[in-house]
Amino acid sequence: MTVQVKDITVRFGGVTAVKDVSLKLPPGKIVAVIGPNGSGKSTLFNAITGMVKPAAGTIEVDDTRIDAMPPYRRIGLGLARTFQTPRFDPKVTVSEAVMCGFYPVHRTGVFSAMLRLPKAVAEEGDFRERCSDILDDLRLSEFRSLTMNELPMGRVRLVEVARAVANRPKYILLDEPAAGLEREEQRMLSREIRKLADRGVGVLLVEHNFGLIRELAEHVVVLKDGAKLLEGEPETIAKDRAFIDVYLGSAGR
Amino acid sequence: MPAVLRSRLAPIGLLVVIIAAMTPLIAGSAFWLDNSVLVAIFSLLALSVGMAYGQAGILSMAPAAFGAIGAFATSIVTTRYGLSPLVGLALALLLPAVVAYPMARAITRLSPLPLSIATLLLSLVLELAIREGKGLTGGYIGISGIPPLWFADSVFAMHVLSWGLVVVVLFLYANLTDSAVGRAVKTARHDPLRATADGVNVPALLASYFAISASVSGLAGWLYAHHLTYMGPDSLTMHVSIKVVLMAVIGGASTLLGPVLGAAFLTLLTLYLPAAETQGMIFGGVLIFVLLVAPNGVLGTDWGKLIARRSDKQPMAVRPAATEGTA
Repeated sequence: MTVQVKDITVRFGGVTAVKDVSLKLPPGKIVAVIGPNGSGKSTLFNAITGMVKPAAGTIEVDDTRIDAMPPYRRIGLGLARTFQTPRFDPKVTVSEAVMCGFYPVHRTGVFSAMLRLPKAVAEEGDFRERCSDILDDLRLSEFRSLTMNELPMGRVRLVEVARAVANRPKYILLDEPAAGLEREEQRMLSREIRKLADRGVGVLLVEHNFGLIRELAEHVVVLKDGAKLLEGEPETIAKDRAFIDVYLGSAGR
Repeated sequence: MPAVLRSRLAPIGLLVVIIAAMTPLIAGSAFWLDNSVLVAIFSLLALSVGMAYGQAGILSMAPAAFGAIGAFATSIVTTRYGLSPLVGLALALLLPAVVAYPMARAITRLSPLPLSIATLLLSLVLELAIREGKGLTGGYIGISGIPPLWFADSVFAMHVLSWGLVVVVLFLYANLTDSAVGRAVKTARHDPLRATADGVNVPALLASYFAISASVSGLAGWLYAHHLTYMGPDSLTMHVSIKVVLMAVIGGASTLLGPVLGAAFLTLLTLYLPAAETQGMIFGGVLIFVLLVAPNGVLGTDWGKLIARRSDKQPMAVRPAATEGTA
């Protein structure tokens, strides 16, 4: 019952973006991937969710091989993700954007949706209820009727998280969720990530902010030039010379 | 916007009121009833464009071709085989979807433009096939003597039936737009990768949606054939498709009533235009005007905002979300 990535290699033409990286994401745990820009974090992410094809290696979710599956089916298996640069339709309202996240769990067919059969009405009502619960959790309720382009960046990232958790995923991959967030928003986000993990969701976190990782992650994987440099608990990592040299420099202490 | 969502069906109510108010005024005139039926048929075709283009972002140049498939299907089974127009209706709904789905499935992976060209080619191929169809399609002569609908055998009854069908289609369309599928289609049009991350099989979903829109065109073709009782190679051509796309764009392709408004406007305009040659010029002029003033169509534009902005002469406020946060 884990996401298991084994010896993943991704090449773009002649460039090897990710080389033989393995990683394990158990449910209920927070695992962080850290590394300088261009170290392959986002590529690793995209390989897991199927947005890029790995040249070698296997990916399993709960003992099911997923590396040949199209991305949308991986999402359907309970693997949600956010984007480093939030992707959203600027004209859509906040609650409408979160409603889009329910797609993988919707069960009413096109025809019952068109005819508004009682089944469809019930499901729609259920989604609206769950949507407002999620918005409450993330303190986004007051913004629900605003359109996405009226929101500050920090809230947009929270909406992205809300959209990803809407279908109650088993694992969630967050790509730099705290970038551009104010301190207060960051606190809210980290509390929400903690809550997700407590609920049994495995969280894979790509983050630059080591403070946030220290606070949240139980296990850290450090990437450098596409390969795994080291891994371990955040406290051990923070003291590691090799890590400090490649990533934090002298400011990291 | 919960208030607007609750009134999802309000535009349809408005249309019903307008049609109901208009009916007694035109009930005595066969001319106006006939035009009213034509407006309803064009509304259905334009709604098909609204679904494909306004919602899914697929600019189809073949609404009339899908309509012709439906019209010929019902013409052939009713005149050649003496079957009920209801069998024709089933075929008119089914066949266009069967043609549209694989076509869209093969091409939506690319970009909207190739699909648009493919629909154009479909129109051309279909027009050729109809001319060369000999006994089946009647070739150049076409098929005449298509039986009127026994349950709507007067122009007045056709007026009621065709507007009734427009209302039914609008009802189904409004429901679909406000569902998980409708939201996914809108997301996919805006950003396919975003939709994929929502768990949407984008090519399959867009193709299905396109197939549904083709069915609506087929329905219009079915009405057309039984209303005019004649169907020929010049009946539903590419020119009709272009006119229908114009109707949808002018009225507001992504809105519920926009295509209906566009259909009414252009049909009435055609009635009062002097000669066929000048029509193209005027249609082109109207299109350019609309695209310049209100690119989202008459009903897709927030006129209050537009006028306020014009009079203020102030640039639009910089949105906070447009500025990237500090990393």
